[in-house]
Amino acid sequence: MKGLRHPFLQGAIVIAVGFVIFKYVIGYVLPVFGIASAPVPASVVFQYTLTVLVGVLLYMSAEESRWEKFREPLKRTMVDHDRRRLRGVLMVAIPALVGWLAYQNVKPSFGAPATLRSVHPAPPNQITYRGLPIELRGLENPLRHSGTLEEHVAVGRAIYTKNCVPCHGDRLDGDGHFAGAFNPIPADFTAPGTLPQLTESFVFWRIAKGGPGLPQEGAPWNSAMPAWENILEQDEIWATIIYLYEQSGASPRTWEAEGEEGAEE
Amino acid sequence: MRLHQAVRFAVLALFLAVPAAVAQDAAAGKAVYDLWCAECHGAEGLGDGSAANAMLPRPRNFSEARYQVRTTGSGELPTDADLVNVIQNGLPGTTMPGWPNLSDSETGDVIAYIKSFSRFFGQGDAPQAMDFGRDPGGGPAALEAGAAAYLALECEACHGSTGRGDGTSAPTLEDWRGLPIRAADLTEAWALNGGSSVEDIHTRVLTGLDGTPMPAAIDAMNGGVVTPDEVWQLAHYVASLGARETPPLLEVVRVGRADGALPADGSDAEWEDVEAFHFPLGGQVIEIPRNFAPTVDGVWVQGMHDGSDIVLRLQWNDPSRSPDPLWDEWQVKLMGALDMDGADSIALDSLGAPTLRPADAFTVQFPFEIPEDNERPYFLAGSARNPVYLWRWNSQDGVSAARGRGMESFEDLVDDPVVGDASWADGRWTLYVRRSIQSEDALSFTDGVAIPVAFSAWDGSSAEMGKRASISSWYYVLLEQPPSSTVVVTPLIAMLLTGAFGLVLVRRAQDRGRA
Repeated sequence: MKGLRHPFLQGAIVIAVGFVIFKYVIGYVLPVFGIASAPVPASVVFQYTLTVLVGVLLYMSAEESRWEKFREPLKRTMVDHDRRRLRGVLMVAIPALVGWLAYQNVKPSFGAPATLRSVHPAPPNQITYRGLPIELRGLENPLRHSGTLEEHVAVGRAIYTKNCVPCHGDRLDGDGHFAGAFNPIPADFTAPGTLPQLTESFVFWRIAKGGPGLPQEGAPWNSAMPAWENILEQDEIWATIIYLYEQSGASPRTWEAEGEEGAEE
Repeated sequence: MRLHQAVRFAVLALFLAVPAAVAQDAAAGKAVYDLWCAECHGAEGLGDGSAANAMLPRPRNFSEARYQVRTTGSGELPTDADLVNVIQNGLPGTTMPGWPNLSDSETGDVIAYIKSFSRFFGQGDAPQAMDFGRDPGGGPAALEAGAAAYLALECEACHGSTGRGDGTSAPTLEDWRGLPIRAADLTEAWALNGGSSVEDIHTRVLTGLDGTPMPAAIDAMNGGVVTPDEVWQLAHYVASLGARETPPLLEVVRVGRADGALPADGSDAEWEDVEAFHFPLGGQVIEIPRNFAPTVDGVWVQGMHDGSDIVLRLQWNDPSRSPDPLWDEWQVKLMGALDMDGADSIALDSLGAPTLRPADAFTVQFPFEIPEDNERPYFLAGSARNPVYLWRWNSQDGVSAARGRGMESFEDLVDDPVVGDASWADGRWTLYVRRSIQSEDALSFTDGVAIPVAFSAWDGSSAEMGKRASISSWYYVLLEQPPSSTVVVTPLIAMLLTGAFGLVLVRRAQDRGRA
């Protein structure tokens, strides 16, 4: 393993390992072990790898003898007669690689343009329901203080099954029989990022005003979510919300938790 | 026994052993059933849940113990493995989803509970899967023999000559309850309720779909009409009629630039070489009256342009060429069976025929102008503030352009140069539309820019009109730009610069080495 002591090889290995971590380990290996993660965008991978390269060069050039040793293979490849074959190959391969990368950048693309959409945009303080104002801030589910849970779940279940199942699905996971026709796809109520993160008043707002009631950053023109105020009574929506939380096993976010977070900001 | 046979046997044995090993506790199954199944199938298993009439086909009535997807003979009860299969994988093309979230023991328990709804289970021996024989294999000769079996078994009477469910009997089909039922569109195998593999199709053909007009071919086989091998070959043939998997969703219709003339109509042979993009359509369930059981479930889109005109070809499957009096009975039965969600009812005349036969229709929707930023009109036919530009076709009036400000607010654009026509053959509409790229009054197409597009479809014979449509989200059309020199020049310059830089570097290093 004498070769491993050579600074050039060490530097090359550090850069390669860094690239593999940024490109693959973070996005694809971590989730295998149950750690929430997402693929790193190519531009960020490029930036990080560049940072590692600069770090390697700084380290190598910090000491004169190490720098000499680090440069040696590069120099030999450029100068030595017995490396003329390798030299020739590199003189063709490197420009070809650069040309290919340039082509990837300028070739005509038929991908969908990137559109930004806020999935959980900030709710307004007040909404209107069929014209009547409702204060959202601090709003609790009124059915939590009247009737029985079983009654509300039964009402909510029937409303959900007729009205919501076609898109959000029987399993509440956003995979209803029409889900594939809509883009963005319907919300998955079993995902940890949906119901448990939201207050019941937020869910009420999203159900009552639907896609057309989203703010601009929520791309209201794309959402297939109906404005249910046109179809359902307020108590029917509140019962459906109770059903959603009961059936998915999630607990709504409380206004106390919301307030604590707000105080931290 | 060869090794691969041994492996197959082991896999099969494992498959058969799993359901048998599942504990079945009907009391525990009731809890699962009440939580996930009862709202559609009813608390007593009668298939009469609260939203049952918004579903066609209806949820199963477990008290009748009549099951379509079985490996047992016609009229027999399903095996436990059959029930596991349906619960885990669902019934594609219906409102029954798969339940992979249930554990094996929950699935076993719920099966025990479902069986308790019917007095038929538990009598006599446990149901046994039929012997399905050996698949003699596919290939061109098998497909030819399968096509012959398709005719011999009179499959085309319901499924049509090309399998799109448009046979002459199709308008009259009903299930055992008298509810209208579609002959499956065999070209969309991903939506076959019993699965899309050759084995799945073979099993359905041989055992039939109990409670539907689909017979069990085993009777014809035993009567000598077809041989066992020919039934397998029929399955290969049916599987070859279309894609088995849902087509991939690519969000952008690539509208290529034609070298010569654009296709002159929808039947032009040139279309064969143009890439087709599939977009799924779903029922309009956003505004009342909603469409809970739409006919058209997708559209194939192709496009070309020549710098001055753009042409699109749109193809979608619809077994009826509406308006067609032959489908009167279907229309009446459907209006009676399906929750029409408050749509204006169509009166019947003294003979029981509908007084209105809606036309088939299709709409291609664009924004009125290319959006400057991300903002687009509301995908559902636009809004008062931000209208959409529509190419509207129906089977009676042809193609015209309109401005849309919501699903029931249209304004005809009589001077718009859009032209087109449509033809129907073997259960499929082909719509051809052509317009100049530039327009004074409406959308001007710009090449190289992704332009939002959306689609909607109506099947008149299923009383679809107005808001009772099949709809899509916004997707894009992108017109290919003329060949540009930068695509060649930029990489060349990059290569030359890199090469020159490398040469200088090497030369300097060598000079220094010599010095």
